[in-house]
Amino acid sequence: MSLGQLLALSFVQHAFYAVTAVALAAGPVGYFVVVRRQAFAAHAIGHVGFAGAAGAVLLGLSPIFGLLVFCLGAGLLIGVGGATLDDRDAVVGVTLTAALGLGVLFISLYSGYANATYSILFGQILGVSSSDVAVVASLSLGVLAVVSYAYRPLLFVSVDAQSAEARGLSTRAMSLLFMTLLAVTTVVAIQVVGVLLVFSLLVAPAAAAEMITNRPLEAVLWSTCLALLSAWFGLFLGVWIGGPVSFWITALASSGYLLARLNNSRRTRQARRAIA
Amino acid sequence: MNTLELRDGVVALGGRTIWRNANFTLDAGTITAVLGPNGAGKSTLLKAILGLVQLSQGSLEVFGAPPERGNRRVGYLAQSRRADEMASVTGRDYVGLGFDGPRFGWGHDRAKREVVQRALALTGTTSFADRPLSTLSGGQRQRVALAQATVFKPELLLLDEPLAGLDLAAQAEIVDLINLIRDTTGAAVIVVAHDLNPLAPIVDQVLWIARRQVRCGSVDDVVNENVLSELYGHPIEIVVTPRGRRVIVGLEEEFAHPHPHGHDHTHEDVHEHLADLYHEEST
Repeated sequence: MSLGQLLALSFVQHAFYAVTAVALAAGPVGYFVVVRRQAFAAHAIGHVGFAGAAGAVLLGLSPIFGLLVFCLGAGLLIGVGGATLDDRDAVVGVTLTAALGLGVLFISLYSGYANATYSILFGQILGVSSSDVAVVASLSLGVLAVVSYAYRPLLFVSVDAQSAEARGLSTRAMSLLFMTLLAVTTVVAIQVVGVLLVFSLLVAPAAAAEMITNRPLEAVLWSTCLALLSAWFGLFLGVWIGGPVSFWITALASSGYLLARLNNSRRTRQARRAIA
Repeated sequence: MNTLELRDGVVALGGRTIWRNANFTLDAGTITAVLGPNGAGKSTLLKAILGLVQLSQGSLEVFGAPPERGNRRVGYLAQSRRADEMASVTGRDYVGLGFDGPRFGWGHDRAKREVVQRALALTGTTSFADRPLSTLSGGQRQRVALAQATVFKPELLLLDEPLAGLDLAAQAEIVDLINLIRDTTGAAVIVVAHDLNPLAPIVDQVLWIARRQVRCGSVDDVVNENVLSELYGHPIEIVVTPRGRRVIVGLEEEFAHPHPHGHDHTHEDVHEHLADLYHEEST
């Protein structure tokens, strides 16, 4: 089959729409994960989602519903517990472990084929149905709409919570809002790259963007572009050369981060030399 | 009308009285220094004025009305954080958050650029406004923070420890800047500080909080041996240097609240006590 024929296949097109929507949500949300230094929370929510997906499969439901319920639950728990406590990491860690334990239980109870588990862990974007695409796309675009609507207050509480609070914003409410957005974004990203590789779309592009620019809006745009590029080229390479799409996306996103980091340290060295 | 009026104010947090019988008024264009030991409730006073903490008794009026959260006529500079805790955003963006940070929505206000520019110019931060906050010196960061706090030309400016962690030269610069802001905007300014001396040249009024009591008046009315000895409950001596600086002796032995047990403070006790106080102050 030629490349043109491959790209015309309906399951490839479904995947294309899904990764595009997911990258549009993950880019901006990822920037706030990096600015708020909540990478651990993002990591934990994904793993909690694994238990939800395993539970849903056990009950014969679509994994995405289990993912939504568990990720939102974990997001709210971390948002409530972590907004006021200094030991946010402990709250996240305990939530994470409890959910992973449940996941192990669900898998051991489930005697069916292991394929479902595999696709939750590593993503199966080429296997998404058109109804899944509709769910993923509407969730992603919803996240994008809310993030852009709440962009300035989110940035304010993330950069300077005390001043934001004094100016009338509620740190707690914003924390809950953000954890909800993060949970939904994690759910859709899991559809593409799976629980274990969720960072590739949610953190790697944003971390690279933060090294490229210090202007928040520019960083959001860079983060979104890098997520889109990783997702599109990852899908393209997976279809054209073969190998799991999630592998390619992860490889591209990590390379982007590496390049940004190398470039950043080169710039810092030059600046130091200029001063000296 | 006074900018601010506090009558018989009492604040209690978690069932414990922080301070009581607080009385003071604030006039436009004056600078008030708030002094006292760690954990005495200096930041709590600012939070009460911001409407973040409620008085349990008494009345507090800001511009003739009860404090209201998010009032643009009140500017606030929070206690500064370390550079490595700051996000890598530029000073310009940080100041911009003071303008439209609390606002939801997709629109963009065209006036923002000019208002931010003006705040940067007033605080002398234009030349480094496009560098990330994390690369600025402590004094530069504090100037940028002042630009954010004054972006709406507030009539009441609350500054929480603006001199903390700065060397003497930077302290003097910030003191000059506070004075300049007062002169150009006519705002009433409250400055929480640890040491009166750097602020003494510009201060009109002193508010001293210790052992749950509050004293307010001119520098000479409050910072004298009789008032401070009474406030702390033990003899305080004040030595005035030839250049007019005050060295206050006797404060180092006492913390905000006397130790609840009768026995002498051991080293560990003191540390534990300090940690407690710090925790209260930061929550």
